[in-house]
Parts: sequence; C-alpha cells; structure tokens
Amino acid sequence: MVTDDKKKELLGKLRNAVIQYDEDTAKEAAQEALDVGMEANDAIFNGLVSGMEEVGRMFEAQEYFVPELLMCADALYAGLDILKPHVKQLDLGVRGSVVIGTVEGDVHDIGKNIVKMMFDVAGFTVYDLGRDVPLDKFVQEQLRTDSDLVCLSAMMTTTMTGMKKVIDDLHAKNPNVKIMIGGAPVSQDIAAKWGADGYAKDANNALKDAINMVSSLKKMKDEAEAKKAK
Amino acid sequence: MTTLNARARVLKLFTGEEVDRPPCFSGMGNVTTEGLKALGYKFAASHLDASMMAAAAATSYKLLGLECGVVPFDLCIEAEALGCEINVYAHSEDLLYPTIKKKLIRNEAEMELVIPSNLTERGRVPLMSEAIRLIKKDIGSEAPIGSYVLGPFTLAGQIMELNDLLKLSFKKPDKVGRLLDQLSDAVIRVADQYEQAGVDYITVREMGATSDVLSPRVFKSLILPYLKKIFEKLSVPSVLHICGKTNDIVSFMAESGAKAISVDQKNDVAETRKKLGPKTLVFGNYDPYNVLVAGSTDLVRRTVKKCLDDGVSAVWPGCDIWPTVPPDNVKAMLDEVRAYRR
Repeated sequence: MVTDDKKKELLGKLRNAVIQYDEDTAKEAAQEALDVGMEANDAIFNGLVSGMEEVGRMFEAQEYFVPELLMCADALYAGLDILKPHVKQLDLGVRGSVVIGTVEGDVHDIGKNIVKMMFDVAGFTVYDLGRDVPLDKFVQEQLRTDSDLVCLSAMMTTTMTGMKKVIDDLHAKNPNVKIMIGGAPVSQDIAAKWGADGYAKDANNALKDAINMVSSLKKMKDEAEAKKAK
Repeated sequence: MTTLNARARVLKLFTGEEVDRPPCFSGMGNVTTEGLKALGYKFAASHLDASMMAAAAATSYKLLGLECGVVPFDLCIEAEALGCEINVYAHSEDLLYPTIKKKLIRNEAEMELVIPSNLTERGRVPLMSEAIRLIKKDIGSEAPIGSYVLGPFTLAGQIMELNDLLKLSFKKPDKVGRLLDQLSDAVIRVADQYEQAGVDYITVREMGATSDVLSPRVFKSLILPYLKKIFEKLSVPSVLHICGKTNDIVSFMAESGAKAISVDQKNDVAETRKKLGPKTLVFGNYDPYNVLVAGSTDLVRRTVKKCLDDGVSAVWPGCDIWPTVPPDNVKAMLDEVRAYRR
C-alpha cells in the first residue's frame, strides 16, 4: 500500500512536471505512480490536471504565454499516455462524446488542440476532424457518431463566419445536439447571436461548459425514457 | 484648411503635415461582396488575376467610399513565392480566403532556409506588381494605394507548423532568429517590388506576435530586431499592424521604425495615446466584423466617435474587412469621420 507521504510526493511531482513543462519527469512520475500502486485517476486529476489548472491561472495572469502552454500540454500528454491505459473508471458523473475541428478556410489548430486535451483528460470520446474542415463534414460526423457536442473553432475574422452555417445546419438536422464555438475573434455575443449553446472563452471554461451541457442532455434523455417507461 | 483629396490627406498624415481631418482608410484587405457583385467576379478568382484584383479592390473606393485602394486580399503571397502551395477554394461558393496547403519546413532540420534568388518572379509577386500598377492608374490620383506584407514571425508560422515555431521560439530562439532573419530579407524583397510598382504605403502585418500568443519580453528580444531591419529598408510610408492584446508592446511597436502603428479593438487606445504621446501615428481600432459588418449604423457611428475620442490618427479597421459589409455602414463611418470635431 502506498503511503500518504509517497502519494503526496508523486502528485506534487506530476503537477510540477506539467507546470515546468518537463516531459521526462512527467513520464517518470507517472510510471512510478503506477509502480507503487496509485490509482491512475488520482494521478491524472490530482497530479497532471492540477498542474494544468495552475498553468491556466498563470496564462491568465500573463506569466505564461502560448509557447509555455504548448510545452505544458506536451508534458501532460507524456504522463497521460502512461496513465490512461490503467484508468478503471472516470468519475466525472458524465461521459460525453464530442466532434471537434477548425472550420474550413482556417488552418490554425492550437486553440482547438488545447480544448481537445481537456476533453481527453476528462474521458470524453473525441472525434477530432483536424483543421480546415469542410463545413458539411461537421454535420456528417455528428450524425455518424451521434455525439452530444460539436465544437467549432476559428482563429480569424476572415474564417469565423463559416461557423454560423454549421450551427444552422446542425440545428436543422439535429435540434438536440449542443454546439460550442471558440477562437480569437469569437465572443459571447457572437455565440448568442449565431445560436451556439456555448462559448469557449478558454480551455478550462470549455470543459466546464461541456460537462454542464452533456449533463443536461443526459438528464433530458433520462426523463424522456422515464416518461416512455410509464 | 482646404479639403484635401484622400491621397493627399494620407500622404500628408504620414509626413507629419497638418491635415483637414483624420483619414478613414485601411492597409489591410477590404474587398467587398458589393464590389465583386457589381463586377460579376467570384471571390476565389479575384486572387488569381491582376486586373480582376485591381478592379475589385478599386470598388471599395469607387462604390463604398473607403479612402484607399488595397491589394491583395489574402495573406499567402510571400509563402507561395517561397514555395508553398496554396488553396483558393475554387470549388466553394462561400467566402473562403486562400490558405497554405503544404508547409515548406516540416521539421527543425529544415529550418535552415535558403531564399530563392528569383523570389520576386515566383508565385503571385509579379501579379501583385501588375495589380498595383493597374489600380494606381485607375484611382491612384485620388486615393492612396496600399499593400501589405507579412511580418517575419507570422510568415514563419505559415511555412512551418505554428505549434513547432512557438515552442522553438522558447527552446531554441537562436535557430528561430536565423529563420526570421532570412524571412525578413524575403519580405524586404517583395516589398521592394511593390514600391517599384508604385504603392503609396505598406503595412507589415505581424499578427502572430500578439501578446495573446507571445510575451512582450520575447517580442522585444526575438521579433522586434527583424521588424526594425524591415522598416529600415522600406522607402514608402509604413505601418506596423499587430492584432489582439498589444497595450504592453505599443512602445516596442513605435520603436520599430514604422511610420505608424496599427492596433485592433482589443487595444485601449486612450492608454496607448497616453503612453506614446501626441505625435506617434496610431491607426485603429474598430472591430471590422462585429461593428462594421454586423453592427447597426448607430453602433458604427458611436464606435468611430470613440476611436477618435481615444486619439486615433486615422480611422482604420482592426483586421481585414469582412466582404459582406453593408454599404450603409461604411457611409455612416465616413459621415461620422467627416462630421467629427475634436
């Protein structure tokens, strides 16, 4: 049985490895955590994710910028790759699935990838369509995978209007799906005006919002089924 | 003083002479669907033909009254000349701007780039020179003719994975510096062609180096030296444009050697004006989509007034103007600029 002290030490090591974008230490600490019999879940959420939360705070405070954020994400993935196969059950109360991509005309995917990482650690099933994705593809993939959520990203003013078209198409084909949009030129106002359900101000908020939306979807489905059962 | 024509006003502004009022123009793309429709052109085709590009750009002045003519409309000219293939989305009826299909640098080892000696004969650089000559002949006696080039860092982000570039600017700044040095040479050569073709002003767009992405410290140490190198070589009036958060770097921007700096709606211009004093030319900073395209004429007027109250030297958009801009909104913007009394 792993002692509390050892556990604390390893969680701190995982957390710091992410904050200090140290991939090697993240791998070592992840392996050690498994070797001493720690729960993978514990190591992910109280180690890696806790580190990423601090990185998010530092980013907001402008202590870190995008290069640091990308390196921290690499360290997180380095640890996650080792821990993920050992995850027994993720207990977030909800497991959703999401189709995510950058809209056609836009080849920037850094923001999208960071949001995707948040979904990955939270145990969502992620269908990543990549970047410069033809608008119809979002609709097709949502219908094919029956995902709870579609996330659209655009980096530039000259590309974001494609998102409105996808939102309209998705709503026409499947009124139940939740849609979140994000990216530098996007705002809460635009999201509301175009009929998106969520606006990803940043990666942390994107995940929180997604969990809320998926929870409310599941609740709706459960209620509908309960009604049917009666 | 007497009313100046649009060209004289902009040129005088750049040389620090007195002007009757701030101009209302742009140094970034501003083709409109209104203009394209009047000419019967498809957006995708307008990037590939000098006379179509020049004619479409001129309609922003002729039909909507924007006080300039600017070519091109997309951001891929330099990357294409360096050897990247571009996608103009010819199949699409939507308004899609050209993008880079394939990166030139796929890994760190390929960063030792050699700029082709015939760079200015490649891709659409000759087409651009022709387009500048044509629009100059068309409206150049009345309106200032502008063009733009990318800043070296933004260009680097087009020819290699931005992800890698950003991480390497942190891990191996020397290597990135060498690439930026090479790319500044490329940018200087392209800009030189535009100058020879008769362009009145050039905007250097270094939007990849915004403080949303890079720290002011890295901007100063890694980006600024190469911007200085470029502005030293430009002979026509020049503008440095960076979008996003810029309040912490406006002093560096002003040091770059550009005649004017351009910022977007995320910049607090009143603050910038305080920092830089009354003389520095600051262009900006209305939101070209949410205000000019999607806003009411009332919002347009209020925003223009705020820009002028804050102290912009010219009313100018924060980015490319999205083509579906309603002509009434451009008119409202121009009316407000003309009526404004400081």
